[in-house]
Amino acid sequence: MTDATAMSGDDLNFIQRIRRDYSPLVIIMVGLFLFVFVAGATLTDDFLTWFNVKTIIRDAALVGIMAIGLTFVTLSGNFFLLSMKEIAALSIICFATLMGADWNQWGPADGDPTTSALMTTFLVAFAATMIIATITGAMQGALIGLGGNPIVVTLGAAGLFFGIGSWWSDNLVVSYRRPHGAEWLGTGSFIGDIPNITVAFIIIAILAELTLRYTTFGRQVYLVGANRAAGRATGHENFGMAIKCCIIASVCAAFVAVAFSGQVSSAHVNYFSSEFGSSGDMTIMVIAIVMVGGNSIMGGYGSTLRTSLGAIFISSIDNMMVLNGFNSGARVLAVGLMIVFSIIVFALVRRGSRAVE
Amino acid sequence: MADQLLLQLTNISRDYGAIQALKGATFEIGRGEIMGLVGENGAGKSTLVKIIGGFDTGFTGEYFYDGEVRHFGSPTAAEHAGIAIAQQELSLIPTMSVAENIFLAGDGVPQIASKGLLGKKAKPFLEEVGLGHINPMRVTNRLSVGEQHLVEVARLIAHNPQVLILDEPTAALGETDSIRILDMVKRLKDRGKSVIYVSHRLDEIFKICDRVTVLRDGESQAPRAATDMDVNALVELMLGFELGDMYPARKPITRETPTLRVRDLWPDGILEPISFEVYPGEILGLAGQLGSGTSEILGAMTGSTKSRGGTLHYNGEEFMASRPKDAIRRGIAFCSEDRKHDGLFLGRPIMENLSAPAIETISRNGLLNGAKERASTTENAIKFTVDPKRLPQEAGVLSGGNQQKVALGKWLSISPKVILVNEPTRGVDVGARAEIYQILRDLADQGAAIVVASTDIQEITNLPDRIISFYRGVRIGDLQLDEMTSANILEQITDPFHEAGIAVSEKAT
Repeated sequence: MTDATAMSGDDLNFIQRIRRDYSPLVIIMVGLFLFVFVAGATLTDDFLTWFNVKTIIRDAALVGIMAIGLTFVTLSGNFFLLSMKEIAALSIICFATLMGADWNQWGPADGDPTTSALMTTFLVAFAATMIIATITGAMQGALIGLGGNPIVVTLGAAGLFFGIGSWWSDNLVVSYRRPHGAEWLGTGSFIGDIPNITVAFIIIAILAELTLRYTTFGRQVYLVGANRAAGRATGHENFGMAIKCCIIASVCAAFVAVAFSGQVSSAHVNYFSSEFGSSGDMTIMVIAIVMVGGNSIMGGYGSTLRTSLGAIFISSIDNMMVLNGFNSGARVLAVGLMIVFSIIVFALVRRGSRAVE
Repeated sequence: MADQLLLQLTNISRDYGAIQALKGATFEIGRGEIMGLVGENGAGKSTLVKIIGGFDTGFTGEYFYDGEVRHFGSPTAAEHAGIAIAQQELSLIPTMSVAENIFLAGDGVPQIASKGLLGKKAKPFLEEVGLGHINPMRVTNRLSVGEQHLVEVARLIAHNPQVLILDEPTAALGETDSIRILDMVKRLKDRGKSVIYVSHRLDEIFKICDRVTVLRDGESQAPRAATDMDVNALVELMLGFELGDMYPARKPITRETPTLRVRDLWPDGILEPISFEVYPGEILGLAGQLGSGTSEILGAMTGSTKSRGGTLHYNGEEFMASRPKDAIRRGIAFCSEDRKHDGLFLGRPIMENLSAPAIETISRNGLLNGAKERASTTENAIKFTVDPKRLPQEAGVLSGGNQQKVALGKWLSISPKVILVNEPTRGVDVGARAEIYQILRDLADQGAAIVVASTDIQEITNLPDRIISFYRGVRIGDLQLDEMTSANILEQITDPFHEAGIAVSEKAT
């Protein structure tokens, strides 16, 4: 982009260069991000410690992974899945039930099971959960792709998934014994003291961004999202696109469910409604991250990189407020304000760029 | 007339960042005068119109209205002073009645008014725009697009404006609707109103305008009396150089084996199944007004419009496209008439627009090949005289003419053997128009079979090698090159059964 804008860059100072190469939205968001960090570091003693930075990113990881998945749906112009937390709820019940099942035939009948038995159990439970997530995603994607309103479809699906999960688990906590095969994902760390879930978040963020930028599929996501009719006219139908994107979002939600279950060795359908994140509601939290990251609700504009940064941003603010002793109500309020703020900034910037045309 | 100036703008400049839209332009209009405002896309017409109407307040220069210096702070202020703009895009509320739309602003009627009262009040304004036969209680979206444009004007007239600005009122209209608009403009003039008429259709300018102001690159030419000029002189003023013949020369065509045979295609809006052939190297024209069914035929051939039946015989294969993808895969391109709706991804870079139909060919194993994409889109951009340096810019920032070139140019990426184009030059300035015609002709000369549907009578007379004409879903006739005069075509597409004295429905059965 830089060499093609035809302006010679030699006579521009640093700020002019930035203004030329980046959209105002990116500048505002990055500026805000830096501001929060600087303010956080100066006002809060423990903010910029290695331990706290790790905590921030770890806290961002679970919601962040879900938000990255949801970003595909949003970018492709299919709005949001309002069923994110219910997909996770059904997945976590499925996973925990299978983890707790009697798989001891692979190990000695009494005493502790072998590592390979634990891993086999984990892999079976993991695979089954992913299959269920694929089905839930494909189902919603197909209905949206056929022309169903995403809000109605996913609200309906949310009730369905929550109902199934609740029925299956008798609305009880499903727990399983430690040691189990999901501990490495839930609480383990292979690289020094960096939690594996943080590593997974970073890997997923990079993979998602590379997919969007450099694959045929990624390009189609943007095109269909930017203009569905033109997408159809140039041979890119939303039907397949909606299914693929919903599957991605759904699988990401299931992955988060598995990781969370691995942390607490149990599952309950309400885990993602009340015990999670600052807002207490996973779906709203995830949508907030996508919005604060500056992705267009209408689709076609944004990236998963923005979503990842949005997750860390929200997590930072949350963390700062915790360190300064704010209660959860104030933190929910902060998240709400951030959504409103980002929507306003986004609308103003987009309108500003139109006027210049 | 001109000595009694109503509105006068002198030395108007306006810049948007680095782009200077107007450079000391001057504009004037007298009482009861129709002033044409013409210029290529990007010449500054829209900016000037926005300044006159109070939409754009950030200009420099003098603005005199009714003998006083004015600087309107908002469109509402300009409207109260008597300056009204009919925008290109309709701003009617489609689900409300005609009368309700006319009095949408709520002035001129009591706070609480019955529908009957509104209807009665609306009637004179409708008569003024030539819609006296329309029931004011009708829901607006039941009217034709042309009628809706007239309703829009009626709404403006209800405020009794002194200056009415019509921004390309006929751009989306067929021939008969356009004539109604022109008649209305003349009536307004007779009642002493001043009208600023912005249009790309030069024949209309000559039909109704008293004087013409030409804008070129943000500078204005002194207004000239329309009677002192002809089309060529006007085009020369707009471009700054002589255009020569806008339509490229036709070459003789040997029609042996058709590239494409259409059999019994029967889309909605067409009364009986139709069949025709397209030969390599020819441009086939589908002539007809809005609603004649020509758009539906092109759409059905590529699966973007539903068809009740029919097949395409192409490349030894017999098939019917059920979605555009089916046609694209076989090398059949369809450029629709509405580039903003389904022709362009306005928010995405021009490069992505140009490669959109051919993502598969620029990628391997699901990965995009950036170098290949850049090479092929640069080549196509140059063919369509779009500056390759602009490839990373959003398509939305381009002018209408350049947008149309990108909308059409993207289809070169699939190296199509059959190219279907609906309204190739709608809302496109003269210079870009000539380029588009030349490109279509070059493609035909290289062996492509091209079908063009158009409601523009000049275009449909001069571009194609052969014509099939349609009137309200009925195929009227086939015209070979030697029969293709504007008069012949116009008769077939406007009033084909006049001589025979039969109704359309009879012909259909």
